[in-house]
Amino acid sequence: MSPSSTARRRRFVLLVLLGVLALGVLTGQVRTPDDRRIGWLGAALETVLTPGAAVLARASGAIEQSWAFLQEIGRLRTENARLRAENARLREENARLGAAAQESGRLRALLGFKEQQPYRTVAARVVGRDPSHWFSTILVDRGSADGIARNDPVVTSDGLVGHVIETGGAWSRVLLILDPRSAVGVLVERSREAGVAGGQGGAALRVTYLSRDAEVHPGDRVITSGLGQIYPPGLVVGTITGVTRAAGGLFQEATLRPAADLDHLEDVLVIIRGPRGLLPR
Amino acid sequence: MIRYAFYFLAACVAVILEVTWLERLSVGAPVDPLLVLVIVVGLLHGAEEGALVGAGCGLLQDVMTGVPLGLGMLGGLGVGFCAGLAERSIYLENVWLPPLAAVTLTLLWHALWVGAAALVGWVHASVFEVARTAALGACYNGSIAVPIFHGLRRLDGALVRLYERPRS
Repeated sequence: MSPSSTARRRRFVLLVLLGVLALGVLTGQVRTPDDRRIGWLGAALETVLTPGAAVLARASGAIEQSWAFLQEIGRLRTENARLRAENARLREENARLGAAAQESGRLRALLGFKEQQPYRTVAARVVGRDPSHWFSTILVDRGSADGIARNDPVVTSDGLVGHVIETGGAWSRVLLILDPRSAVGVLVERSREAGVAGGQGGAALRVTYLSRDAEVHPGDRVITSGLGQIYPPGLVVGTITGVTRAAGGLFQEATLRPAADLDHLEDVLVIIRGPRGLLPR
Repeated sequence: MIRYAFYFLAACVAVILEVTWLERLSVGAPVDPLLVLVIVVGLLHGAEEGALVGAGCGLLQDVMTGVPLGLGMLGGLGVGFCAGLAERSIYLENVWLPPLAAVTLTLLWHALWVGAAALVGWVHASVFEVARTAALGACYNGSIAVPIFHGLRRLDGALVRLYERPRS
């Protein structure tokens, strides 16, 4: 056998072996879509790399502020020196106070929500996001060292965000309700009609298994039903935006806009679940 | 071995950048320096190394970004292997090589990635949506390919000269 055909054969065998391995890993998750076991090596990698991600996430805030400041200077160049200096100082102060007020408002709302919750919660900051177009997960800077465990629900003051799918010492990964792997048992608050809200990979959720005769209208608020053993009952999920009823179908379906702004998450609350369910405060 | 340690370090930096800064900058599709790294390794060192580095980088990306494990691994494997098939038959000094390779192989990566995800029932997107995302991602990667290609090629050449026997 010539050296070139041996090399070709070795190359082909490598491709097939790695391809089978990749497909095996992928299809292994099909049976349990949200059960994503990365193993000790993956957890170690995340533990090492997440602090770097956290530092970059914080640094980007400072860079954005500096960039905004430079833009301000460019605009103010047309004005006289005194007004420019005064304006820059006032704007910088204004921006700083505005940002502080915004953050304060957000944290106050989160704190108010935290006080209302009958469960023990941990506040966490979002430090990373899944960049892919089709799936939705976020990385937060609190983990098992703070008592967070897999399947703990995650919320903001506006509504439900998702649940924890992986956790390490100082990090956790949260599967957002928009992710196609997510499914939440829900109730239409007005009619108490039960359904399942699932992600579609887009900006809205689809509520399925609503009975055909149920009174469901756009604008109805949807809350968690408490079925499914992950989410406690009564958390706001979102608002119905449209209802479809296929001719001859047993069920009707609805589209749902999430109550929480899932594209701009900065701070979240993780509801802590103990070995025997959600922990009281 | 030193070269592989360097690839691992570069892949870690790229994936951290992807989940923090680049995630904010990209609109409609991901900017993916890790994929460009795999393409460059394939072009410089052939199909076997391309496939190995591609599968490893893809798995690292899967772990760090939270997507189902195996999707990125499959995409990286295919892209690294295909980039390596052209190793002996392309002119590396051609100025159009990095952007053209990045655009073509990014389209392939999207096809493999979305195809595998659709095969197991996790992505239900229209062909138009997939094509739009792939085209945008290819444009992004094409625009970052030139500096990454030349930077990596120089470093890679230096590492090969310093720590490895020259390839016959």
